Amino acid sequence: MTVYVSLLGVLVGVPIGILVLITGTLGTAGRLFTKIYVSYFRGVPLLVQLLVLFNFLPWIKFDISATAAAVTALGLITAAYVSEILRGTLHSIPPGQSEAAAALGYGPRATWQYILLPQVIRLSIPALFNELTLLLKSSSLISVVGIAELTRVSQNIVATTFRPVEIYLVAAGIYIVMSQILLTAGRLLERHWARR
Amino acid sequence: MDLSIVVPYLGLLASGFGYTVFCWLAGALGAMALGLPIALLRMSPVRWLRIPAVLYIEAIRGTPLLLIAFLIYGGGPAFGLLLEPLPAGILALALHASAYFAEIYRVGFNAVPRGHVEAAASLGMSPVATFLRVQLPEALVAVTPSMVNALVVLSKETSILSIISVPDLTYEVQKMGIETFASFESLFALAIGYWALVSVISTLGAAFERRVTFHIHAARSQ
Amino acid sequence: MTQHMVEIRHLHKRFGAVEVLSDVSLTAETSKVLCLIGPSGSGKSTLLRCINFLERYEAGDVRVEGELVGYEERGGQRRLASGAKLRQQRRKIGMVFQQFNLWPHMTAIGNVADPLIRVRGFSKAQARERALAVLEKVGLAAKAASYPANLSGGQQQRVAIARALAMEPHLMLFDEPTSALDPELVGEVLQVMRALASEGMTMVVVTHEMGFAAGAADKIAFLDKGRIVQCGPPDILRKSDEPRLRQFLQTYHERNDF
Repeated sequence: MTVYVSLLGVLVGVPIGILVLITGTLGTAGRLFTKIYVSYFRGVPLLVQLLVLFNFLPWIKFDISATAAAVTALGLITAAYVSEILRGTLHSIPPGQSEAAAALGYGPRATWQYILLPQVIRLSIPALFNELTLLLKSSSLISVVGIAELTRVSQNIVATTFRPVEIYLVAAGIYIVMSQILLTAGRLLERHWARR
Repeated sequence: MDLSIVVPYLGLLASGFGYTVFCWLAGALGAMALGLPIALLRMSPVRWLRIPAVLYIEAIRGTPLLLIAFLIYGGGPAFGLLLEPLPAGILALALHASAYFAEIYRVGFNAVPRGHVEAAASLGMSPVATFLRVQLPEALVAVTPSMVNALVVLSKETSILSIISVPDLTYEVQKMGIETFASFESLFALAIGYWALVSVISTLGAAFERRVTFHIHAARSQ
Repeated sequence: MTQHMVEIRHLHKRFGAVEVLSDVSLTAETSKVLCLIGPSGSGKSTLLRCINFLERYEAGDVRVEGELVGYEERGGQRRLASGAKLRQQRRKIGMVFQQFNLWPHMTAIGNVADPLIRVRGFSKAQARERALAVLEKVGLAAKAASYPANLSGGQQQRVAIARALAMEPHLMLFDEPTSALDPELVGEVLQVMRALASEGMTMVVVTHEMGFAAGAADKIAFLDKGRIVQCGPPDILRKSDEPRLRQFLQTYHERNDF
């Protein structure tokens, strides 16, 4: 469940993050929206955001499963961080490249699609994988709304076995292994692309 | 919307805010103090000092703060470590952040040019004097931006301690929300509150950053 | 027999498999200026850094005022000198680096005064007074309160010279002190160095400034591939028929003439 929620969170988060980033380049209103979006999701503790969202959905009488709500929340938050990471990378790409594309007759859409995004995503890979490990750990917080992910499951086992040290240490071990796998994968991808 | 329902809770909210700030500061101080020796071990030329430091850093960074808090609060008694939620929470926060601070310090020390240390050696300064007068201050300046960032992150993470019933702002607001049947409104107000708090901390941090790094930027006019 | 200020005998130094100094013997006399010249990679900076033991050497002797630097000999055995002993030796050897190596978090006067406080045990007031006097000497008393980032390269290097001078060294080492400077700033640093030489400071200078070497040096040593190829009075720069030195000077003139 931990893996499932984290992965879905990324799958939702990365596209939204890209959208948020692009919105930020479209005029004053777009820039303002992106600024507030990023500032809110980065400025409010994750736990509080989860609690807000979980109480917001019933409040507007919108009924989805707890898991779907958790994925939505994690996705929205990840999107804010992703858009910031991508923005940082975007600034590192010389403006001459967009100018060259424009000179060759690329429209704005084509410039984004073929020139900027592929580079930005590639250059952002290490930071994105780092973000993914943070998300993995953040997913432990959805245990508070009762979703049976790793932390919640271990809590439940502790409640019946009364062996908190062993159970929690095993859970920590699983998190550590998963983080290391992600970080290693990120490094490998980075090296793979650096070689070309 | 009836704001008067909040009035009886004002005292609790203020106390919750106090706990939040206290946990943040205590956790940050603990992490900064703990991170330094870990960073020094991590950079030690001796393998048997370096390896445990690496393992510590990787293990802590791979484990969610919530789980660390559970381990100390729930698992502590098994080691005869019976802690109230507050000290357990602060300890968890300090351990959690110490790994991040250790890495920040390490980057800082690596940023000090070798020549600056050689200059101190050529003047006959002892290793301790060199560390205190040259390496440490230069490293601290180099890492101020990451340090400020880590402190901002930490201020948000204190909310996680509400789960082990540290009576911080998040804890009190949740309680208020449940008792007044206005959970969403309370929590949304809480979110705005944190947003404001974090913005203030970030702004102060940026100002502090400019203050301590002014001497490495050439003055624009004289 | 008068004692040499620096006496280097049969010095060997290697980085891994590469021998960067082989069988170097050289002396520097009190109140004289010795210039080390040679192509890059010839080992001249390494040789200089062996004199205050920033670089360890494997074999041979480096003696300053008759005392072996960096090692202690006991019963024919040689072991690394203690840190305290090494610091005490370095105290009398001032060093100026190519990259200045001023500490960016201290002002000019802070850079000069701090070692006086930490190493020489001066009070703050004494240290400030001495630091200001030495800054005055290098013409920078007015910049005492400036941070290094707000000084030009030439000014930074003069502060670095002041920092070393304030310790009252018996000997000053200069490691390409003008190589990192813009051409128009080289003059002010060389001027300070000439003044220092005329006051009788013992100096060992690694330099690419042949004009300075010809004018200020009492002795010039030309190194190539880790060996001293020729050593003698400054007029070897004009009269030598040693082919490697001639070729080195030829390249130098081609680069600097237009």
